[in-house]
Amino acid sequence: MIKEIEDIKTVFIEELAKTGSLSDLNNLRIKYLGKKGILSSRLKALSQLPSEERPIFGQQINDCKRFIEEEIGKREGVLKAEERKREIAREFIDITLPGKYTVPGRLHPITVVMREIIDIFTGMGFDVEVGPEVELDYYNFEALNIPRDHPARDMQDTFYISEDILLRTHTSPVQVRVMEKKRPPLKFIAPGKVYRCDADISHTPMFHQIEGLMVDRDIAFSDLKGILEVFIHKLFNPNTPVRFRPSYFPFTEPSVEIDIGCILCSGSGCRVCKGTGWLEVLGAGMVNPRVFEMVGYDPETYTGFAFGMGVERLTMLKYSIEDIRMFFENDIRFLRQF
Amino acid sequence: MRLSLEWLKDFVDINNVTPDELNLKLTMIGLEVEGVESVDGDIVFEVNVTPNRSDCLSVLGIAREVSALLNIPLRMPDFKITGDTGGCEIGVNILDPELCHRYAGRTIKGVRITGSPDWMKRRLERSGMRSINNVVDVTNYVLLEMGHPLHAFDMDRISGGVIRVGRAGEGQIIRTIDGVERRIPDDCLLIWDSERPVAIAGIMGGQDSEVTDRTVNVFLESAYFLPSSIRRTSKNLGLKTESSYRFERGTDRESLINALDRAAYLIRELAGGEVSERVDEYPVSFKAEPIPVRYERVRRVIGAGIGDEEMIDILKRLRMDVRVEREHLLVIPPSFRNDIGSEIDIIEEIARFYGYDRIPVTVPKIPVSMERPGRGHSIINNIKDTMRKIGFTEAINYSFLNMDDLDMLSIPGDDIRRKAIRIRNPLRTEESHLRTTLLPALLRNLRYNLSMGNREIRLFEVARVFQNDMVFENGLPMEKHYLGAIYYLSRLPELWKDETPKFYIFKGFIEHILSEFKIKDVFFERSSEPFLHPGQSADIIVSKRRIGYFGLVHPDVADRLDLKLARPEIFLCEIDIDSMITLIPGETRYSPIPRFPYIERDIAIMVDESLTAASIAGSLRDFPSELIEDISLFDVYKGPNIPEGKKSLAFSIRYRAKDRTLTDAEVEPIHRGLVQYICNKTGGVIRG
Repeated sequence: MIKEIEDIKTVFIEELAKTGSLSDLNNLRIKYLGKKGILSSRLKALSQLPSEERPIFGQQINDCKRFIEEEIGKREGVLKAEERKREIAREFIDITLPGKYTVPGRLHPITVVMREIIDIFTGMGFDVEVGPEVELDYYNFEALNIPRDHPARDMQDTFYISEDILLRTHTSPVQVRVMEKKRPPLKFIAPGKVYRCDADISHTPMFHQIEGLMVDRDIAFSDLKGILEVFIHKLFNPNTPVRFRPSYFPFTEPSVEIDIGCILCSGSGCRVCKGTGWLEVLGAGMVNPRVFEMVGYDPETYTGFAFGMGVERLTMLKYSIEDIRMFFENDIRFLRQF
Repeated sequence: MRLSLEWLKDFVDINNVTPDELNLKLTMIGLEVEGVESVDGDIVFEVNVTPNRSDCLSVLGIAREVSALLNIPLRMPDFKITGDTGGCEIGVNILDPELCHRYAGRTIKGVRITGSPDWMKRRLERSGMRSINNVVDVTNYVLLEMGHPLHAFDMDRISGGVIRVGRAGEGQIIRTIDGVERRIPDDCLLIWDSERPVAIAGIMGGQDSEVTDRTVNVFLESAYFLPSSIRRTSKNLGLKTESSYRFERGTDRESLINALDRAAYLIRELAGGEVSERVDEYPVSFKAEPIPVRYERVRRVIGAGIGDEEMIDILKRLRMDVRVEREHLLVIPPSFRNDIGSEIDIIEEIARFYGYDRIPVTVPKIPVSMERPGRGHSIINNIKDTMRKIGFTEAINYSFLNMDDLDMLSIPGDDIRRKAIRIRNPLRTEESHLRTTLLPALLRNLRYNLSMGNREIRLFEVARVFQNDMVFENGLPMEKHYLGAIYYLSRLPELWKDETPKFYIFKGFIEHILSEFKIKDVFFERSSEPFLHPGQSADIIVSKRRIGYFGLVHPDVADRLDLKLARPEIFLCEIDIDSMITLIPGETRYSPIPRFPYIERDIAIMVDESLTAASIAGSLRDFPSELIEDISLFDVYKGPNIPEGKKSLAFSIRYRAKDRTLTDAEVEPIHRGLVQYICNKTGGVIRG
C-alpha cells in the first residue's frame, strides 16, 4: 500500500510537470482529487483494511492528498503568471499613436497682456473699474480739462455719434465717473476699448488702454515714479531702464511720459526705437487740480496721480509684433501662438 | 517743429554742447526730439512741441528754454527800425475787440520783389517751408524765428486806406491765396478793407490783396486773435496753416510788435523801401496776475526736498518775475507763457527744470481696499477660459457694423438689431454703425481664415454690443456683453472617429458653458433666427428667459457667404452674458451626501418620432414619487426592429430614499407605475 501511494506521487509529479495550461491542471486535479479520482478510490478502499491499519494508511493518503493539493496550487501560480504574461504581450499597442483630446484654444494676445497688467496692479492693491465705450463729450473731454475749442482735442481724432456723444478716445473718462461716485482714498485701474478715427500701419480705429488712478492725502509725484517703476519692472524685467520725461496732458500736471530702454536693441538704437534707444510706454501725471474741482474734491486736501497705457503697443513690444493690424485680422495662425 | 541748430546758434551759444547732448537735454525738459537729420553741415531736430507750449513753436522760443536750461544769455536779432519815414497810411479799426485784442502794422513803400537770398531760402527749406518771394519769405521767416504769424498785403489793393477787423456776417465768400473760393461761416473773423474782406483773420490771406511780383507797397500785419475763434474757423473751413496752428494755441500779445519790427527790418534789408511808423490798436491789454506759490506745496506735490533758493533760481531763469514772501513766492509769468496761470503750472515748471530724474522714487502707503470686486469682470475671464479649454480661440474685432451684413443675415427690417447707433464720421462706410451683434465679424473671420487656407475654425469673441433701444444714462446707449462663437471643421482625415452629429457637438459646447456656471433650469426651444437652419437651431432659455441662440447657419446665408465650399456646416452661437450672469446661482450651500444606496431601473420606450426627448423626460419628472432621484437619457435608436415613424428612447431611473436602504420589492411597484404612466402620457410602448 505504501509503495502504491509512493507510485501515485511519482506518476503525479511527472504528469504535473507536463501540464501546460490551467485546463490541463484542472484535469489533473480531477484525476487525482476529484470525487472519482485516484485518491478518493484509495480512501474508499481503506474500509477493506483491518481496522488497526486504517489510521496509518489513512494518514498516508491524506498526506499524499495535501502534497498534491500544494503542488497543484504552486503549479497554478506559475501557470497563471505565464498566462498573464502572454495576455499582456497580446495587449501591446503602439504608444506613439496620438491621443484623443480637445486641443485647447488660445486667448487673444491683447487679453493675455491685459490680464498680466491687471494682475500686477491688483497685486499692488488696485481695484478694477469699467465705464461705457459710448461716452459723453463731458466725461471724455470737458471734465478732463479739455474744453471745446482746446487744441489738445487735435491729439485725439474723435468718432462722434452726436454733438455731445462720442466713442471714448481714451479710458480716462472712467477716472471722472469713479471720482463722481466715490470718495478718496481711491486706487484703481480701468481697462477697456477706445476709439480714434485713424488707420494706418501703426494706428487702428479701435484699440485697448488701461487707465489708472490713485488719489489720497499726500500722494506725490515721487509715488507716481515708485508705482510705475515697479509696474514696468514686473511687466518687463527688473533690469529694464526707466526714464521719466516731462510731457503734457490737459488732465494732469505735472505730466510725464515714461520710456523704457529699448528691449530690442538694449538702448543702442534701432528701427523700433527710431535710434533713440528708448521706447515710450506710458503717459502719466499728477491729477490736475481743475479735474478735482470738476468732481467736487478739494485739491488742497487731495492729490493723486493718473496714468494710461496702450495695450497694443505693450503687446507688440513683448512679442515683437510689427504691424498693429494683425491684432484684428484674427488669423488663426497668428492667434494660436499666444 | 523742425529746428535748425545753425539758426538756434543765432540766439544762444551752444558751441560747447554736442547735438546729442542738446537732444537729450531738450527731451528731458519736455521738448522731445523725435528725429534728427543732417542737412549740408547743419543739423535739424524734429521737436515735438506739446499743445500747451505755443511759445516754443519758434527758434526764439526754444532758444529761451535752452538759455534757461544751460543758464546762458539769450541774444536777440536786430529789429530796431530807425529813421521811420512818416505815419502809416493805413488806418486800423477793430470792430470786434473780443476776437482781436491787438492789431499792429507798418507799411513799407517802394519795395523790389525778387527772390530771397540763399541763406534765407535754406533756413525756410530746412524748416519745411517753400520760398516764394523776398517779402512773403520774410513773413514766414519771422514766423519761424519769433513764433508770431504775420501777413503781408499789397497795400495798393487795400481800398480806402483802412483795415477793419470784424466778423463775417451772412454770406461772405472769399478767394484765398491758394485759389480756393471759400464760403465763410457768419461768426468767423475777417480782415476787411473799406469794401470787402481781404483775409481770413489769422488763417490765410485773400488772393486779391496778396503780394505779387508787381507789388510796390506793402502793408504788414501783426495781430493777436482769440485762440478759440481761430480754432473754430480753421475747423469749420477745414483749413490749417502754420499761422492758424500758432494762433489757436495762443500767441504773445506783448511782443507781437517785435515780430512786426523784425519783419519790417528784414524787408527793408532784402527788398528796400521805406518803413512807416507803427499803427497799433490795442483795445484789450495783457495783464498777468501774480500767482502765489507755496514752497511747502511745491515740495509736497513733487515729493522732493527742493530748496527755496533753487525754486527761485529756476523761475528766474524761465524769465518769471519772482517776488519772495515769507511762506510763498509771488510769481508773474512772462507774456509769452500763456500756459501758466496757477500754482500747479509753476510747480510743473519747477519739476521740469529740477529734473524728473532727480525726483526720488517712493512707494505710497496704500490703504487696504474695502471694495468687493465686481462679479462681471471675473465671470468674463472665466467664460474666456472656458471657451479656450473647449477648443475655441479668442478673436477681437472692431466694434463697428456694416449694415449690409444684416441683409446678408436675412435680419428683417423691424428687428432691434437694425436699430444700430450711427457714427457721424466713420472712416469707411462699412464701419458706419456700432455692433448690435457679434456674428457678422465672426463670419468675416471665418471667410478670412478659409481664404488663408485654415481649415479648423473655432473662434469666439466676448465684446460689448450697443443697443439703441435702451438707454443707460444721459442718452447713452445700453452696452451689453455678448459671447459669440463660430465653429467650422472641414472633413479632415481623423485617426479616432467620432460619430456624434455636429449639431450635438456644438450644443455640447453650450451645455459645457452653462454647466461651468452651474446654471440650472435650461431649456432649448426651436429658434426662429432667420440666419439659422430652422431644423438645427435652438434658443437657449434659462428660467424662462431667452439668453441666446445657436445652430447651423442657414444654407441661404451660407450661399451668400460665398465660401466656395459645398454645403458648409457652420455653427454659430451668441449669448447675452450680462443676462446670463444674473442667472448664475449665488453663494454655494452644501447639501449632505446621500447615506443610503440607490437602485437603478431602465425604461426603453418606443414613441412617435416627433416627440422630443425633453418632453418625455419632462413627463417622467412629473411622475409623483419622492424616491426618484435622477432621470437620464442614455440611448436613442432608430433602425431595424423599429417601425417607420417611430423611435426608441432609453432612460435610466435612479431611486433612492433619504432615510433607509431601498429594497427591490419596494421599488418594483413604483417603477411599474412609472412605466404605465409614461406609456399613457406619450402613447408609447415598452420595448424588450
